[in-house]
Amino acid sequence: MCAALCDPREREAFKRDEEAFMARFSLSEAEKDLIRKRDFAGLIEAGMNIYFMLKIGSATGNSLYRMGAQMRGETYEQFLSTRNIKGAV
Amino acid sequence: MSSSSRRATSRVPSRIVAGIGLSHVPSVGPVIDRARQADPAWKPLFDAYVPVRAWLEKLEPDVAIVVYNDHGADFTFDKYPTFALGAADRYRIADEGFGTRPLPEVAGHADFSIHLCEQLIAAEFDLTVCQELGVEHGFLVPMNLCFPHSESGWPVRSVPLQVNVIQHPLPTARRCFRLGQALRGAVESYAGDLKVVVLGTGGMSHQLQGKRFGYMNEAFDQWFLDQLESDPEGLSAISHHRIMEEAGAEAVELIMWLTMRGALSPGAKRVHRHYYAPMTTGMGLITFAG
Repeated sequence: MCAALCDPREREAFKRDEEAFMARFSLSEAEKDLIRKRDFAGLIEAGMNIYFMLKIGSATGNSLYRMGAQMRGETYEQFLSTRNIKGAV
Repeated sequence: MSSSSRRATSRVPSRIVAGIGLSHVPSVGPVIDRARQADPAWKPLFDAYVPVRAWLEKLEPDVAIVVYNDHGADFTFDKYPTFALGAADRYRIADEGFGTRPLPEVAGHADFSIHLCEQLIAAEFDLTVCQELGVEHGFLVPMNLCFPHSESGWPVRSVPLQVNVIQHPLPTARRCFRLGQALRGAVESYAGDLKVVVLGTGGMSHQLQGKRFGYMNEAFDQWFLDQLESDPEGLSAISHHRIMEEAGAEAVELIMWLTMRGALSPGAKRVHRHYYAPMTTGMGLITFAG
């Protein structure tokens, strides 16, 4: 499913109807639920590769740093405050 | 396939004139596309490449062999090769999920690539040979940093050498180093009078998944740069486990720097060295004269 998101038409299809998009792939209900909830920590725990998860991030408006903040259990602002040069985004 | 001696246009052997280890952080791409190189947060990175670009201009290389990993743009986990070499005259710019960057197509050198494939496979490196390949940030960001493009193209031709560093089991660091040594022999047996630069890309310390997201380790990165210069053979004994534990899971990309180093002479002289770690990745830079 994530590989399909490398095509702009597929990203639009995901944004238009996420359920219909997910139904095309052999995802379990638990996996779909992690995507519905934007539970990035849960997806990683379930075996998701970070570079493929970035494609879901792109389609859902979640940057790497936003996903990272969630995985750390922090707000985006809290995460940025831990960085050396937080303007380099 | 015809033999390389028939294909080559010159009897003068080719040679590696430089090796560069550098990070391939994806956020650098949009900075270049939006001309934000002078932003205070990014200037230290781009300033470090000013002397490197001047040095490369003087060396006038013909071809850059870029050792990189694909991040799910053109290889996905239904089939993911351990080592794959581009053997085409052009490589398209791939969409890795964020849109296609406004860059000119990359010019390859199919004849040289085919020679490298023949030599490396004869040396028992069983490459996947790619007559079509799309390249993404792992390849393009290092090219952007070293070889500024114009609207019409890039100042060098390229050979992409893709390594699996994202889906275990991965090749060992030593295997990557040995690949570099074989690559040197393959380059030098091409009678096409090419000046070749080898880029080893990825790393340095970074972890992009789980609670440890954002972990970096400058002490490890500086040690790695030291060892890469002084004892690459010894460094190639490092385990994936140690790299991932000390420098973050995604830092294992650093094994690709050993392919670059293996392609140089053991006593190759270091020319430039820089380190900048603004956000979540230790961005290292080290250059060697071939």
